Amino acid sequence: MPILELAAKFGTYAVMAAILIFAVGVVTFRNLFHCALCLAAALIGTAVIYVVLQAEYLAAIQVLLYVGAVVTLVIFAIMLTEHLAGKTVRQNNSQSPLAIAGLLGFVALLTGLILKTPWPVTETALKAKVSVMGLGQTLMGAYVFPFEVISIILIAALIGTVVIAKKDDPEDLPR
Amino acid sequence: MTLFGMGVFKGMMVTLKNFLTSYFRKPDEGGIFTVQYPEEREREIENFRNFPFLVYDGSHEKIRCVACGICERECPPKCIHIEMELDVAGKPTRKPAVFDIDYGLCMNCGMCEEVCPFDSIFMDHAFEVTALGSSDGLNRHKAELAKSNKYFQKVRPTLASVIDQKRKAAEEKKKAAAQPPVTPQEPK
Amino acid sequence: MIRGIEFYVDMIFVTAKAWILALLGRFLPDWIVVLASITISGVVILCLGPLIMMYLTLLERKLIGRIQNRYGPNRVGKWGLLQPIADGIKMFTKEDIVPANADKIVHLLAPIAIVVPALMIFLVVPFGERMTAVNLNIGLLYFIAVSSITILPIFMGSWASRNKYSLLGGMRTAAQMISYEIPMTLAVVPAIMMSQSLSTNAIVLAQVGDYDLHWFIFTPWGIVGFIIFFLCATAECNRPPFDLPEAESELVAGFHTEYSGMKFALFYMAEYMNAFTLCGIAATLFLGGWQGPLLPSWLWFFGKTFVLICVMIWFRGTFPRFRVDHLMGFAWKFLLPLTLINILLTALWQFTSNLTAWLWSILILGISLWTLVKLNRTFVPEKRHYPLES
Repeated sequence: MPILELAAKFGTYAVMAAILIFAVGVVTFRNLFHCALCLAAALIGTAVIYVVLQAEYLAAIQVLLYVGAVVTLVIFAIMLTEHLAGKTVRQNNSQSPLAIAGLLGFVALLTGLILKTPWPVTETALKAKVSVMGLGQTLMGAYVFPFEVISIILIAALIGTVVIAKKDDPEDLPR
Repeated sequence: MTLFGMGVFKGMMVTLKNFLTSYFRKPDEGGIFTVQYPEEREREIENFRNFPFLVYDGSHEKIRCVACGICERECPPKCIHIEMELDVAGKPTRKPAVFDIDYGLCMNCGMCEEVCPFDSIFMDHAFEVTALGSSDGLNRHKAELAKSNKYFQKVRPTLASVIDQKRKAAEEKKKAAAQPPVTPQEPK
Repeated sequence: MIRGIEFYVDMIFVTAKAWILALLGRFLPDWIVVLASITISGVVILCLGPLIMMYLTLLERKLIGRIQNRYGPNRVGKWGLLQPIADGIKMFTKEDIVPANADKIVHLLAPIAIVVPALMIFLVVPFGERMTAVNLNIGLLYFIAVSSITILPIFMGSWASRNKYSLLGGMRTAAQMISYEIPMTLAVVPAIMMSQSLSTNAIVLAQVGDYDLHWFIFTPWGIVGFIIFFLCATAECNRPPFDLPEAESELVAGFHTEYSGMKFALFYMAEYMNAFTLCGIAATLFLGGWQGPLLPSWLWFFGKTFVLICVMIWFRGTFPRFRVDHLMGFAWKFLLPLTLINILLTALWQFTSNLTAWLWSILILGISLWTLVKLNRTFVPEKRHYPLES
């Protein structure tokens, strides 16, 4: 099915282009809310790329964590700021040209590295498809210790939030 | 200690009961009380009043109205318009030539009914009035407004019979008042 | 192998699709057949979603009417069956009003964006045996991920309207949806643990047993999980008693205050389609999905889903709206610990599942429920007295 493959290829490139456009939007839009929406769109686009690369699990997690949680948090934070309606924020300052120069250098470095790496396509690499079940078993087997450490960190964070959010004892409050 | 969630359960049972009984109970026992208007109608209440109409006895010519214009003056939204009929000599005939009520303006207060000294204008039961235009479409003329005493008897029997008796008594009194000049003269 | 008539009735849609594809395959290249296969499923879902939404509104109005001792719509067509179409025509012909200060583009995009995830969830709902549009092996995760996007369009709509009520509605939505997503996800975990798969189809197949009564709801953790999931689903699609984001009496209509005509209809549509898919997923996870005796599988699925939807409508007819702090407290302090205990219980059940396990689970659940209720006592401030000073 060469036509379908071609279509998929072009679709992928289109999605990549869209991601880039949205990414540029994130750093150029003057309205914070528009930036956040562009970020969400770029992240969803990344998830689509994951799907094309047959990493559905990663795609779902990407959407769930980044779009569902992180962007929502960002938007929530924006909504609580005073720059809500109409006000715009300049996203560049006098040091922008310097930053762009540095960035271009970094991009050149990365491109060079990518081109230099041979990217060996071997039989085992092609066959290694991580299933969700395998992932779960690895997390609960070989990597159970880091997994548990992460959960302890999460619980610590939760408890910390509760402590911060807790009302002060009315006895201690200054009258 | 009451069981947790019991209130939720109880509330849901209440609505469930209401839902089920709506299928077989009568309106006053907790069933559906909707009256599906064009097909079903609510019982007409005699004292229900809507737009005014004019009463005539017998035929259209015998309209009770004498075009005195009291209602025209009393009407709060000024929706009544009366013109007196003139005979050939230009003398008023105590009959309305024009009697218009704009139902679009009328606010159904019933003042006209109360002030009329000739018992000629009463509030009707008809409420299904419609027109295409708002400015002139609801303006009713004499021919449409005039309705027979029989109709009045049918719609508001209690009031109509009271009025009829009053009119009869007044007529007899008038007759009696007209005769006395004759009767006392008889012995002479 | 000879099969009974019920098998063919069961497979009627699957066979129909296969026939169409075989017919196309005779005189068209392969790639068109592949595309057609996707298109058929897609078109069916795209038609099914709005159709279900339209008739859900009618069903809701009818049921609520009966609960309130009214008839509900019964004028347009027999039993009001054409009412949704009349509503649709009305929505199409209504004027589309955009506030002068609104962010025009985002205002336009929000209603479009909200329908997309609502329709995307339909992809993994198993409507019947072999009737899942895309049998993803991460079906449930996909469902959770996609339903988490729903917050974004609501935010967009509420922010772009430049209306304080809309914005308040949006904030409430965010708080509510984030809070209820957590217990919902955790309530799903036991079903995943027991079926050892994330695929919706595999979860249904894990509930096949003797006489088809191996449904997860007939286990202690299943009941708890189902109830929690269902409550969270009601909260997720903003239906009463969790309809704070669009509380008419406080916020006019929350995030869709400034929407009219077809844009408003799209918000409405997304809400009802979400209600349907969430009920469908609840039926899949805990009520055995499409399986059941005698009747064809798709009829079983729709039957179970519609029973759940009727319960949602019943909720709406019964309960007043939550208070904001009660709403959050209920999710974080009651449902969340209960789901965690439920997961533990499922792990225990995995090892022993007999009468003693039943007793143990009831005991554990009872104790934890009692403790949670005790801990969640509503705070009633002491009555203050103001002694009159002489």
